[in-house]
Amino acid sequence: MEALLTRYLDPVAPLNLVAYQATGGYRGLTAAFDLKPEKIIDIVEAANLRGRGGAGFPCGLKWRLRGADAPSPRYLICNLDESEPGTFKDRYLLYGSPHQIIEAIIVSAFALQVERAFIFVRGEYAKGGNALNQAIQEAETAGLLGTNIGGSGFNLQIEAHLSGGRYICGEETAQINAIEGRRPNPRPKIPRPSTHGLWGQPTTSNNVETLINVPHILLNGADWFRDLGVNGGCGSKLFCVSGKVQHPGLFELPCGTPARELIFEYAGGLDEGRTLLGFLPGGASTAFLLPEHLDVPMDFDPMAEAGSRLGTGSIIVLDDATCPVKVTLNLMRFFARESCGFCTPCRDGLPYLVQILTSISSGEGQADDLELLDELSTTIASQSFCAFAPGAVMPLVSSLKCFHEHYEHHVTAGHCRFDKTVKDKT
Amino acid sequence: MGTFLIDGHVIPFKPGDNILRAALEANIQIPHFCYHAALGSLGACRLCAVEINSKDSGKAPRVAMACLEPSEDGLEVSVSAIAAQQIRQHVIEFLMINHPHDCPICDEGGECHLQDMTVACGPPYRRYRGRKRTFLNQDLGPLIHHEMNRCITCYRCTRFYQDYALGNDLGAMRLRNEVYFGRFQDGPLENPFAGNLVEVCPTGVFTDAIFRQRFARVWDLKTAPSICPHCSVGCNTLPGARDGTLRRVRNRAHPELNRWFICDRGRYGHQYSEHSTRPLAPRVSGADTSYHDALTAAALQIKLAQNRIGGFGSAREDMEGNAMLQALLNKLGGVFTAFCDPELETATIAAVSALQNIGNAPSLADIEQIDAALIIGDLTAHAPMIDLALRQAYRKGAKLALLHSSPTLLAQFATTAISVSPREVYTRLSRLCELVNIESIANDMTEAPMADIVASLMGARNSLLIGAIETLTAYEVFALEKLATTLGSDTRLAYAFPGANAYGAALLSSAGNASTMLEAVENGKIRILIVAGNDPLGDSRFGSRWRAACHNLSALIVLDCISTVTAKAADILFPVAAWTERSGTFINYEGRSQGFSSVFHRSEYLPSVAEVITNLGQYLGRSLPDAESVLCDIFSDFQTPKPGTTGSLITVPALTMPITASIHSIQKSCNSTWQAALASWYGDEALASFASGLMALTPETVALIEPTSAVNAGLENGSQVKLHGPAGSMVLPVRLNQGVATGTIAIARNVLVQLGVGHGDSLELEQVL
Repeated sequence: MEALLTRYLDPVAPLNLVAYQATGGYRGLTAAFDLKPEKIIDIVEAANLRGRGGAGFPCGLKWRLRGADAPSPRYLICNLDESEPGTFKDRYLLYGSPHQIIEAIIVSAFALQVERAFIFVRGEYAKGGNALNQAIQEAETAGLLGTNIGGSGFNLQIEAHLSGGRYICGEETAQINAIEGRRPNPRPKIPRPSTHGLWGQPTTSNNVETLINVPHILLNGADWFRDLGVNGGCGSKLFCVSGKVQHPGLFELPCGTPARELIFEYAGGLDEGRTLLGFLPGGASTAFLLPEHLDVPMDFDPMAEAGSRLGTGSIIVLDDATCPVKVTLNLMRFFARESCGFCTPCRDGLPYLVQILTSISSGEGQADDLELLDELSTTIASQSFCAFAPGAVMPLVSSLKCFHEHYEHHVTAGHCRFDKTVKDKT
Repeated sequence: MGTFLIDGHVIPFKPGDNILRAALEANIQIPHFCYHAALGSLGACRLCAVEINSKDSGKAPRVAMACLEPSEDGLEVSVSAIAAQQIRQHVIEFLMINHPHDCPICDEGGECHLQDMTVACGPPYRRYRGRKRTFLNQDLGPLIHHEMNRCITCYRCTRFYQDYALGNDLGAMRLRNEVYFGRFQDGPLENPFAGNLVEVCPTGVFTDAIFRQRFARVWDLKTAPSICPHCSVGCNTLPGARDGTLRRVRNRAHPELNRWFICDRGRYGHQYSEHSTRPLAPRVSGADTSYHDALTAAALQIKLAQNRIGGFGSAREDMEGNAMLQALLNKLGGVFTAFCDPELETATIAAVSALQNIGNAPSLADIEQIDAALIIGDLTAHAPMIDLALRQAYRKGAKLALLHSSPTLLAQFATTAISVSPREVYTRLSRLCELVNIESIANDMTEAPMADIVASLMGARNSLLIGAIETLTAYEVFALEKLATTLGSDTRLAYAFPGANAYGAALLSSAGNASTMLEAVENGKIRILIVAGNDPLGDSRFGSRWRAACHNLSALIVLDCISTVTAKAADILFPVAAWTERSGTFINYEGRSQGFSSVFHRSEYLPSVAEVITNLGQYLGRSLPDAESVLCDIFSDFQTPKPGTTGSLITVPALTMPITASIHSIQKSCNSTWQAALASWYGDEALASFASGLMALTPETVALIEPTSAVNAGLENGSQVKLHGPAGSMVLPVRLNQGVATGTIAIARNVLVQLGVGHGDSLELEQVL
């Protein structure tokens, strides 16, 4: 399919304002100003654009639920705090074409009638953040930001907020705390950010990939967008493939493309002589899938039916020379480290899981450890305060199911099957 | 208002109550950590899991956190459900992973919420086999001991410290299972309410460092309901003693006063009663003797002086002690007052009479609900818990306005803070009163800050005018009363009185007696002075006159439990019981009469003031009725309030004071460029100044001067100046401070005493080059 979201990307020398406009940039903005804000929301809703940050909540519905009569001031947050292991799509968007992001935010802010928007940029993407700030200045100078943009009567100010740098800052309410200058602990979900968000005012948060679809939808129509997808999916999607493949990378493909195509066609398949053990379909906080799931469309609902999540659409591939216990331990170490420390099950439960996994991985596991992992994971997932811990235990719980014999082997044999220095007892 | 069920118990609830709050109010326990009645729900600890059966019978029961779940009529809640129990067990297991299990040597042992919850909910055995995470502790100053390894990360400490007490030097740092509650760097906690961390913390992270020095297990402590003697608020406390010594003081909830918290002066000031200089044996002419010999000597001197006698009660002495001394003096034809500074005497009596006219002062719970306040002076030092109540009002959006002469902590929360010299306060108050009567003042920019104050007071549904008596004259007390009257019935009036029983002492005193007594001693008409819990010789303004006048006395008889200047100069000294060692009655700033119990007895014989006076009466052949009868004679329906109850407002006949006459005598001379102002801090109080832990935090002794005044006088930060007063002079370094009024030098109480000046008196300044 024709590149849509990646059309303007040039990570080496991103397009400046003039070049971006010359290749067709900011046309979506013109299209938007010809429409009434509520009409834009109608079109986005009709396009069935679902949130690309991982949860897949319909973007149009989110905007409609905030309400056209929400009290002012109201805010828009563009979430560019991409921290999910295996995910690097937003990074390409930031480094490759900052003006594409700005255009998308102006259009979305106009639809939501928001006069102040924030771009929350992952701390490690500081250089990209600088480029973004330059682009914002360019846009301001050109009258694309500020007051009475393009004579439309619409005002907008965009601020790029560089994160202090933690995974939890990607969580909607923790991010709100971070922007306000508070400790980034998640907030209670009631009242919702849509009514009580930044500084207690109505706030809409969208992933950057979600937003950059909007100008294209306005230019080409909802039906066109829906037809971009395959196997029941809607629109274009940025997929990342990494792990044990020959050509890891970013691929823009129709939403609904199966993993088999991504792994074996676009990412060049596995190394010579290796077979697929399993894969994470949507980043570290999704459940492992097995080779039998290769043909499931990479879309929100089919992935959920298969027991996992589309997440960020970032496939991490495990081959048959990879110990899944060690991979899982690595992931769990990440999540235990990134817990904000607010609620007990997440803060103290995840390190507990790491401790058990470490002892299993190093061959010191005990017979009832696997049951214990299961038991603890259930409480951690169901009783923690935000969605971080349920996501964090997803790879573990699925790994225990998918790769059970590997765990059994560690416990009974006392070492890893892939550790060539130890002779197998069995 | 509705009801729901918890395991069969009917729980009533108020609109907005969550399940946990309603259950705890109904005395049904649901295990919890991070929830605190004053701090609200957080949802972090996840211990208060309960199972909820929906009213819709088709739905499966669900587990929810009781602290986050709104109460609903007809809900069926189960704490005992297996699903909820299992979650609590896991939560405890998680919390105990890194806990050091050092209960045998932990100061919290026996009153540890974590210990209770672990026994009640936790798994019987430990499954975790890994290493524990450990922390380094911080030095948080002399009052609070830090032991971070015990932390269970409930965030109560920061929620109290930052959100409730509005402190900013303690917070949560780092993340995951390494969240650290402490200061950015080692150092004493700066907030005057920091000591509450000891009680807010559900385990032994923050413990009482003073108690730790002479520790006793909680079950070995003798306790009894007491009242804090360190200011006029009358917070309810629960002191703990062992082996004849006082070890600690904790909060005891009073529904209208201190509910969950007390200030650090109240918590740590108790060390006065263990001070090494405390008089414990009677002394006659400098030599220790028996009570019998001291009483004999005192009686002899009184008889020889042929009843030319006067006596000081005290604003920190209880009703019984003051009334008995007054009764004895009445029999002997002597003069009584409770105040050695005539100005303080008239101001205090004026304040009580103002409250009688206007209506009683609001309780702390009421003060938290006000939406505008005008504060005169520094409440943090004179009534710390009123400061904390005003911080709660501020958190809810109340506008605070301040008129102050020296730096005050509340200024940082004030919408309008005007620094005015002590002598200017009256003019400002009168102007405020005029502005209330003038329409459309808001447009007049020249009156901007004053007009703002008036606008916020007039716009408030519920406002408060409050002043610290120690830094006010009777003029200003009446000006504040007049402003309250002018503003109308939505305005409440309160004063921070100079002592735990200042209100009661004022009821027994007559304006003018202090001057009469000083003059009578100076001209030899009084030959015997009995001083009970007062310190005329150590008074800042009149101390030097008293010290000179005392040479005319044939005997200075002192009853006290601290070694004041007057006690040191006593010819006959009766050491008396401290407030935790006897029972008595205090009347607080509202006029609330509260009783306190004797918590313990020391090995030494230490009677109360009332007992010493009774005995002295017997030795003089003048038997006195008991204290209750004496008080009943004065206040017709007086009943000694029962300790442990909420107390009741004292009903008294209206005070009459010849106010113009008494005020006239204390007009100040205004011929100097500089005025002295009391630079107070929260530890500054007669008893607490003998508490070594608290005193370790005493601010440096400096002369605080407003920058512009300093520049005009050729002074800069760090310049040395010599201050001259009637009683002496002192060299001090200058500190520039925006919180001081123009032309004012703010100095600590001990400096005022040394110079012999009071708040608002003139002062000479000489630069030392």
